[in-house]
Amino acid sequence: MRIYEVFLKADGKEEFRHAGSIEAPTDELALVLARENYARRAEGTHMWVVDRENICVSEDGFIDANLNKSHRHNDGERVAKWRKSQRNKKSDD
Amino acid sequence: MIKSVLPSEIKEYLLAFADDEHLMGQQHTEWIGIAPFLEEDMAFASIGQDELGHASMLYALILEDSSKIDAFIFNRKPEEWRSCQLVESNHRNWEEALIRHWCYDMAEDLRWELFRESSLPELVSISERALKEEKYHRQHADALVETLLTVPASQSRLMKALEEIVPEVVELFSSIPGETEAISSGLVSGKYCDVFSTWRSRVENRFGALDSKLFTTSDHQSRTKRHSDFGPLYGRIREVFLLDPKAVW
Repeated sequence: MRIYEVFLKADGKEEFRHAGSIEAPTDELALVLARENYARRAEGTHMWVVDRENICVSEDGFIDANLNKSHRHNDGERVAKWRKSQRNKKSDD
Repeated sequence: MIKSVLPSEIKEYLLAFADDEHLMGQQHTEWIGIAPFLEEDMAFASIGQDELGHASMLYALILEDSSKIDAFIFNRKPEEWRSCQLVESNHRNWEEALIRHWCYDMAEDLRWELFRESSLPELVSISERALKEEKYHRQHADALVETLLTVPASQSRLMKALEEIVPEVVELFSSIPGETEAISSGLVSGKYCDVFSTWRSRVENRFGALDSKLFTTSDHQSRTKRHSDFGPLYGRIREVFLLDPKAVW
């Protein structure tokens, strides 16, 4: 038996999302079993089933370096605040 | 044919299909939680639910009112059922359940195909919907059987189960009450037994040639008589209902 990761995509612009995992002996059985286990209630219109062995997994720490870079975190709040103040200034004039 | 009131022969004919679907669905769903692996018990029960759905569409057509289905299922006398032995039999080990699923679903799409050009528009749409699902039921059954046949111990268990089940499928195809009227009215395009050879080739393509005697067994009972396993099965179907028959669900 192999472990497969199941991804579903709803219709339209939705992206594929991880739905869960499944254990199956062959690719074809992974597809049919995933269909009944994760998509029997019309949860999506497209499905990917990926053998976990085929997923490239990064080593521990590979992306940790990005955790403390506040200068990359711009939620736009400061810009919005500044623009609002500029607008208000204009209307006061 | 006009929809409103179906002649009694036609209802009798459709009832055989509805009852087969209902009992097959019931038997499959009983594997929830106990099939050999988690993914399979969910898949098998889900396929069973599809069959229950097919049954309910047919019952709604026969009863002309879907709100009457529950009472019809839970209060019918055993002699009023028209199911065949295959769906009543108490096949309690996994290889028999799997082989029955394979055999039944390889026969079921052939049965729905006969309604594709039915004079009854409702039947055309019911069969189209059912056929969409049957494609995946067959794929599920066949992929699992194909995999298991590569393992010698599994193969011998499956072949033994096949010898048990095939004669019961022969009865599934045997003449159905009301079939003549159903054909002459255009409800269905032909006799079910005429597609038996297609089913047999599917079996022999997958499992190899089998003893011809298995396909000619005439030792079956009519659909008006119940197999001895029907009683316990019907008991399980009615178990919750009988706790409080007057309850509104």
